[in-house]
Order: sequence, then C-alpha cells, then structure tokens
Amino acid sequence: MNRPGWKLALFIAAGCIPLAQNAYYTTFAFTILVAFVLAQSWDWVAGEMGYVNLGHYVFYGIGAYAFAIALVGKYPSGVAMLFALLITALAAALLAFPLFRLKGDYFAFGTLALLPLAEVLALNLVPITNGSDGIVLPPENVLTRAYFVVLVVCVIAAIVSVRLARNRFGYALKSIRNDEEVAEVMGVRIFPAKVAVVVLAAAFAGVAGAIQAWQMSFIDPGTVFGLNVALVPVAMALLGGSGLLWGPLVGVLLLATMQQWLLVNVKGYQATIYGTVILLIGRFMPGGLLRAGWVRERSWLRGLTQEHHERITGVQEARTEAQSGMRELPLVPRKTDRGRALLECRDLTMAFGGNVAIDRVNLKIMEGEIVGLVGANGSGKTTLFNCISKVHEPRSGGVFIDGVALAGRRRDEVAHLGVGRTYQIPRPFGDLTVQENIAVPLMFGEDRLQPREALAQAREFVAYAELESRLTDRADSLSLQEKKALEFARALACKPRVLLVDEVASGLTPAEIRRFVEQIRDVRDRYGITVIWVEHIFSALAQVVDRVVVLEQGLVIADGPLNEVVADERVLRTYLGGVAPKVPAVHA
Amino acid sequence: MLELSSIAVDHGSQRALWDVSLEVGERELVGLLGANGAGKSTTLGAIIGLYPVAAGSVRYSGEEIGSRSTSRNVAAGISLVPEGRRLFGEMQVEENLAMGAYAPAARPGVARGLERVYALFPILAQKRRQNAGELSGGQQQMVAIGRALMSNPKLLLLDEPFIGVAPMLVEEILRVLRDIAAGGVTMLLVEQNIHRALDFVERAYVIENGRTVLEGTREALVGNPEFNNKFLGLD
Amino acid sequence: MSIEALVQVLIGGILLGGLYALVAFGLSLIYGVVRILNFSHGTLLAVGGVAASLLYASFKLHPVVLMLILVPALFVFGYLFYTFLLQPLEKRSHFESTVGTVLVTVGALLILSDVTAKLAGATQRNIPIRFEAIEIGEIVISTTQIWILAAIAVLTIAMQVFLRRTWFGRAIRAVTQDPVGARICGVDSSRMKAATFAFGSSIVAVAAVLYTMSFPVDPYMGFGLTVKAFTIIILGGIGNLVGALLAGLFLGVAEGLTGFFWKSEWAPALSVILLLVILVVFPKGLGRSR
Repeated sequence: MNRPGWKLALFIAAGCIPLAQNAYYTTFAFTILVAFVLAQSWDWVAGEMGYVNLGHYVFYGIGAYAFAIALVGKYPSGVAMLFALLITALAAALLAFPLFRLKGDYFAFGTLALLPLAEVLALNLVPITNGSDGIVLPPENVLTRAYFVVLVVCVIAAIVSVRLARNRFGYALKSIRNDEEVAEVMGVRIFPAKVAVVVLAAAFAGVAGAIQAWQMSFIDPGTVFGLNVALVPVAMALLGGSGLLWGPLVGVLLLATMQQWLLVNVKGYQATIYGTVILLIGRFMPGGLLRAGWVRERSWLRGLTQEHHERITGVQEARTEAQSGMRELPLVPRKTDRGRALLECRDLTMAFGGNVAIDRVNLKIMEGEIVGLVGANGSGKTTLFNCISKVHEPRSGGVFIDGVALAGRRRDEVAHLGVGRTYQIPRPFGDLTVQENIAVPLMFGEDRLQPREALAQAREFVAYAELESRLTDRADSLSLQEKKALEFARALACKPRVLLVDEVASGLTPAEIRRFVEQIRDVRDRYGITVIWVEHIFSALAQVVDRVVVLEQGLVIADGPLNEVVADERVLRTYLGGVAPKVPAVHA
Repeated sequence: MLELSSIAVDHGSQRALWDVSLEVGERELVGLLGANGAGKSTTLGAIIGLYPVAAGSVRYSGEEIGSRSTSRNVAAGISLVPEGRRLFGEMQVEENLAMGAYAPAARPGVARGLERVYALFPILAQKRRQNAGELSGGQQQMVAIGRALMSNPKLLLLDEPFIGVAPMLVEEILRVLRDIAAGGVTMLLVEQNIHRALDFVERAYVIENGRTVLEGTREALVGNPEFNNKFLGLD
Repeated sequence: MSIEALVQVLIGGILLGGLYALVAFGLSLIYGVVRILNFSHGTLLAVGGVAASLLYASFKLHPVVLMLILVPALFVFGYLFYTFLLQPLEKRSHFESTVGTVLVTVGALLILSDVTAKLAGATQRNIPIRFEAIEIGEIVISTTQIWILAAIAVLTIAMQVFLRRTWFGRAIRAVTQDPVGARICGVDSSRMKAATFAFGSSIVAVAAVLYTMSFPVDPYMGFGLTVKAFTIIILGGIGNLVGALLAGLFLGVAEGLTGFFWKSEWAPALSVILLLVILVVFPKGLGRSR
C-alpha cells in the first residue's frame, strides 16, 4: 500500500468539495483543514520532539491578528498572509528562549500561560488590536479562495510531516525526544533544532490563523486566544495518536465531525462538552486511538498505526553474510603517537553541594593508550567521565583534548573534538531502532551524513557489535547485554579519538567479556582509538590495559601498570580490602 | 526467618532477576555479593516490597510476602538501608530519623528510638538540627542506618553502606553494626568489598546475572577457588 | 496620587498576594508529592468563591461556617478527582501520563467554570460582609482586611507547623524530597498522593472564602489564578512555604502598583511576563529543583 498515494487521493477528494457549491459543506471542510494544519504542526513539536506546547494556539491568534491588521491597512491578502507568517515566526523565535528553559510539565504550563498573556495583550493594546471590540475585516466572500489556500497549506504540512519522518532534522528531534543529554553527547546541536521546530510549527499555525480570519472576516481576543478553543487541536492530535504519521489527521476528522454535530444539535454548555471530550481523551486514550489494541489488530487499519520512522527502516531487506573474526568498521585508522597526551585533566575538581566527587585530579592519557579506571562505587569514576563529556561543568580545573581546553564548550562540540562515551546504565534512544540509534551520531558527527548513507553505514557498526538480528528492532526491546553492545557501537559511531567506556563488561558472561576485550583491543590497534575503560572485573582489564588509574574518594591514589598497582598497599587497603589478589601475567 | 525461593523480578519489560534463592536464619548475618548490575539491590528491593515479585516466593517469618506493600513489610519488622542512602536532604537529621518510625506501631517509640540512635552515633546528636543534605557522606550513612533502626526492625537489609564513606568512619560504622547485630537483629548485607563483607558476615551468597550461583560459610567461601575467581574476576 | 491612596494600594496588594500564596501552597504541596500540575487548581477557588457568595446571600452564614462547609467539600472533591481521573494515568508511559494529566485537568477546568457560569450566572460576586473601619489619619483600614490578613498569617503558620510537626506533614515533605526514601520508611505512596491532592484542594476552600470577602470572583477567573500560583512556585521553590508567601506578596503588591501607577487591566499580564523574565534571567530557576 503506497501511503503518500492515499494521502494524495484524500487531498484530491478534498479539493472537489467546493465544486458542489454548498457553503455548509465547504465551510465544514474548511474548518477541518484549518484544524488539521494546527494539529499537525503541534505534533511536530510534541510527537516528534516530545515537548507538549499547550500555547500553540497563541501563534494561530497572532497570525490572525497580524493578517487582519495588514488587510485593514489595505495591503493585498497575499502580502498580509506573508506578514502574518513572518510575525508569528518572529514571536516564536523570541518566546523559544525563555520557554526552552522549561522541561516536561513545566514546559506545558509555561506555554499554556501564554494564552492569558496574549488575551490580555489583545484586549489592552487597543490602538493595534481594537481591544475587546475586535477587528472587522473588509466584507468579501472569500470562502472558496480561502478553502484552496488552506488546502495547499495542508498539503505542504503533510509533506513536511513525511519529510520529518526521514530527514536529518527529524532525527535530531527524535533523539531530543528520547534523551536530550545523550543526543547532545552524540553530537546533535539541540538548541537550534528546538527553536527551529517551534518556529516552523508556529509559522504554519500563524498562516492557519490568517486564513481563518480571512474567511470569518471578524476576530476578537476570545475567538483566537480563548482557553476552551485553544486546546481543541491538541486534543485532536492526541485523540488520533501523537507521533503517528496519520494520528493528527484521524483525530481531526473524528473530533471536528463531532464538534460540528454538537454545534448544530446542542445549545449551551459548549465549553462543558469540549471540556468533557478533552477530559475523556486524556483519561482514557492519551496515547491515541491508533495505538489502541483493537485498531492494531485490524489488518486494514494497520497501515495507519505506523510510527513515523518505521517505514524508512522497514523497506530495507536484512542482509546476512556469514563472516568470521572481527568485522571491519567504516573508520579511518589514525596514526598514534604514544608521546603525545591526547586527554589531560589538570586539577580537575567537581563537587555536588558539599560532596566533593572529584578532587584535584591530574591525569594524562597518551594517544593510543588503553587505560583502566578502577575504584570503589562512588569513588568518582563516572563523575570524571561526565566532566570530560561536559555532562557536568567542573567546579575548577580543566580538561584538554589534544591541547584544546573544553571549558565553555558544549557537549556536541566535545563530541566533535573526538570524545565518544557509553553510559554505565545504557541509555539508548528507546523508541528508535538499533540501526537508527547508531545512525544518529553518524548524521551529526563530522561527516554529517544524510540519513540514507548514515543508516547504510550504521549496519556495519551493527555487524561489528553482532546485533544484526536486531537491526530493525526498537532499542528498548533489547536485553541489557544487547543494550551494552549497542552503546559501545553507538559510541564508536561518533568516530572518536578517545573512547570512554563505562562498565561495559559487568553482567556479561566470560565469553561475552572476552569478545568485548578483543573489540577494545581491536579499535585501538586497527583504528588508533584511545580508550579509558571503567571496569570492576580485573581479569578483563588485565588482558588489555596499558596501565590503570585508581580513584578513591575522588582522589587518584595510584597510577601505573596493573600488576604494580594491585601490589600498592594503599590500593589494597582501600579498595581490595587487604588481601593481594594474584594477577595473571599481562599479555600485551 | 527469610526465605527466597527462585524469585524473578521485572523492571518494566526487562527481567532483572531470574532465579534468586536464599535463606537467612534468625539472628544470622548473611552477605549478598556480586558484581555491579548482578541484581543485589533488586533482591533487597524485592524483599522489602519496592518491586513486585514476578515469580517464585518470598517468605518472612513463615508468611508469603511476595506481593505485600512496603509499608506492611516495614510494619512487620523489615528495614532497608538503601543504595545511595535516600535521605531527605532538606529535612533535619532528627526529622529524617523520626521518619524511620513512620509505621503506626513504631510512632510511640520515637523518643526511645532517637535516644538509641544518638547513643550509637553520638555525632548525630550534635548535628540533629542540621539538614541531612549538609552532612558528610559517612554521617549521612549513619543517618540512613539510624533511620532504618527507628522502626525497631527484626531484619535489617543493608545495601552497600560504605559507599562514599571515609575509611575511618567505615570502622566506626562496622563496630556499630556489630553492636546492633549483638542486640539480636538479623542482617542481610550487600557489599562489593568482599574482604570487608566476609569479615562481617557468617555466610554469603554470590549472585551473578540475576541468579544465585554460589553459597557458603565464610570459611568455605574464602577457601573456594571458584569464589575468588568469580569475585575478583581473576580467571 | 496621594500617599494615603498608595498605602491603601499596598495593603490591598499584600492582601491579594497573601491569598495568591494560599492558592500556591496547595498547588505546591500537590506538585511536590503527586508530581502533577493541576491546571484546574485556581478554578476551585472560583467555584468555591461563587458557592460561598451564594450561600452567604441565601443564609447569611458566617465566613467561618462557610469554610467549614467548603473545606470538606473540596477535600472530597479532590480525593475523588485524583482517585478516579488521575491516578489511573500513572501506569502509562511518561509522555502519555503527562499529556493525559494535562488534558484531564484542563478539561475539568473548562467543565467547572462553564457549569458554574450556567448555574450561577457569569457575573462577578462577593461576600458583602463589612466590619467597622479604622481610620488612622487619612488612611482608612477596614477591619475586614485586618481579619483576612490575620487569617492568612495564622494559616501560613499553621501550615508550617503542620508540615514540621505532624506525621502527615512530614511525610508530605519526605515524599517531595525522596519518594523512594519515604516508601522504605513505610509511607504508602498511593494513599499519600490521594490524601495530599485532597488536602491541597481543601486549602483552596479557605482561600476562596477569604478572597470572596475582599475581591469579586467570577466563574472564569480560575485559570489566571493558577498561572499566578505557578509563577509563585517557580519563584519560591516547590514545597517552600515561606518562599511561596514572599513570592505571593511580591506579586500581589506588584499587581497593585501596576494598577496604581499605570492601568489595572495590565495586572493580569504581570505574572506571565514575570515568569518569562525569570526564565531568561535565571536559567537554572530559583529553587526549581524541588
């Protein structure tokens, strides 16, 4: 089933409606189309990026006002429309700065608070908005023209939605939705992406508002900023299924039809009915109709239930080729110079409140080294990693990559300088596939690959991690061991110069550990990647590290070859508890 | 007193524990050892009721408690000193301790309980009006242990109580734990420093990938080459 | 523009700010424990205020009696609202429970104000009870205002004592700071959540009576109040009553002064503008952690 084709057919059918010359039906279809633009553009921010913007309607209102003011000022409707678009985009760009300081339900609240603000502004800026009297537009029957304009906008919105499902920008949004911090560590520059999507969505909402004002020929603060109308598009998108390609459209058709029926058949209590519908959708199907079990079971409906990104990976046939030994990685081997310090910590200190987690750590990691980082739980190993990847801003001291200070750099810049990392508790992008997880750093790394190339290249990393059988499975369905393998592969896909590996072997079987050790040795020997490996399992470290660094209470208490360090009395006392373990010979 | 037979626990859709069995007798000190991520904390959480048990059974004093709420288990005399301490950072030390006696049966004994905790950790008496978040790691750990004692537990579950504790305080806390044990409290200790753990407990279980794989008395374990290998990973 | 008028405005602002703070207390406690932003919180004041005014008009009940009726009523309402409409959403995924609670509470807001407006009329109402006024020189202070200020002060202190000295109050703080820590102390989290939601809602009943005695209420004013309460929480910190009281007073006085020096129509916009400015100037938030 060719889905864009279906959508096209739908829009052609919609295009025929005004031909019937029935104002009632045309108006009704017009309302649906406007609602679709609003619901769909809202869902770019919510469904794609995971930010619930309850003030989306504000942009609709701003667009309506801007258009009305320009039209009353005798500008042609096309110019007025453009004016509305620009003003809304500008407003969105300005508002994005304060609003993106907020996350989760705070963001939802902060954006909802924009509605009363806009209403107060519209009521009180009388010279511009004519206050509570509203603005009357030049009388003219524009229904048919407005209808076709909004139809075109709908088609563009649908195209944008399809594009977002598969382009780089869309992947930036999806990675933000899953885990902002990890997205940034993987090289995605998140803030501009967040602003861009809000501006894009706002521009569409603004145009929708302008067209609606054109058709209604009258606007006042209540009709464009009222709380009861403002959340209807949100309810529509959610009713269908936020984040699903077809979700907003299905929701709009259902809810708009119901709304129309109520408008005709019920007098009074409109707001109560809206409220009840919104409440019931929230209570019983916040995931949307298309995610309900009974819809998924119907084969003829299943086409509608696809997540945006499924289609892009679904079409690729699984390639299987038996291959033994270590696979190739699409990495350019680096020449390493053991005399050169690739990563350096100078007096690095990090504290949380009064708790000093890292205390004046001085550390030099030479290019091409594999260094084990050991220490009891809570001794500061992960905090050290977090300072290097700029998850934390150190309290004092600094980190240098090849002589470049990391102070003041963003996480994505650090990633581009060549730092890749894994997390102790794996943090894959849960609702993306294994392949997409790895494609994200490829798309946003130095090479800035297009999704198609990135997804193709990702397969080689997936093969290296021996996860081919899980290529198109969602990452959150993997087992812990598979997630760890995925984390490792994703960190390699950052094409790092230095790789920070955080306890990747714990919980693995001896055979799995052995494979892992081989891979760590392999990426160093073949591709010249420097590795710092936090690990509790000494035998694993012993097989591959050049030296170990021991942390205790945030201090470096030992630094040297493994067999020397485990003989160090201080290490024995604080870490191992007093009995020297016998260490097998280190085979380099 | 406590008997786990083949329990399994899920975190969301992921199975965290597969097959954990252990027994703790009255007044016994038992250790639970294993690598990070092996499932030690999850086991303790399952015992006290933080996580529902998906399969197998947890019996405490002869009764099945696998599906009981945490509050019921606390009232029945189980107490946990959790990983990461889980104190109420912006409440005073004394308020933190008092919260340990939240179970209705323990409430009348707050004053006596506080006295007892202050006797065990005199430093806390000095800091009673300070917010718990301002204390050092070791002192915070004392508050966490003190809080767990406030409900007058019969079974004390300790999850890595020495993380972030300065070596000097480790000795003091160990001494206090021995006192408490001498007072008749049964303990199950999770600890990654095996030598420290084996100094303290009489018997221990080793858990690996969510399964108990080894069990024995202190002497038996120390002499067991398989144990040393598993543990230090020195194979 | 006399000094006397200014003093009057300041007193009015303090009064208003204190009432905002009372509304914010409830929202803050609920958010701390349940982690839900209840968008219909302020609407409870509007509905409660209209009900109080109607009861007063019909039966001439004393304000204290009005509180005794409304407090249990809103407690029960809050309890049922949480148990039947919000608690079931907790089991869902993060995104679904976020949007679900938003839609449920916003839906409730629309229903509550619309039904109230239809049943009682969309007009402004108050409780026209007036005690004797005191005159100090040119400044006239109504004893009604003094009583209300005293009530706000007593309530704030009572709340503070409640949170520090009672088991329920301490448990609220404990859950706010560390839910897992509270659970292992034996605090039953689902019962706590329902009880805190009900308790936070019932505080609004007291604020509703006091508010209606000094300012007019109408069925649609609720959301504006919720926005103010939210701004106050961001300013003062979640679960921090003293911070909320100071932030409330600041906002109330600022709104009063806006009306005094400029136009009172702009006062409702102040809290949102303040909120946006705080977010830009203090990127990490003021005590936004919890």
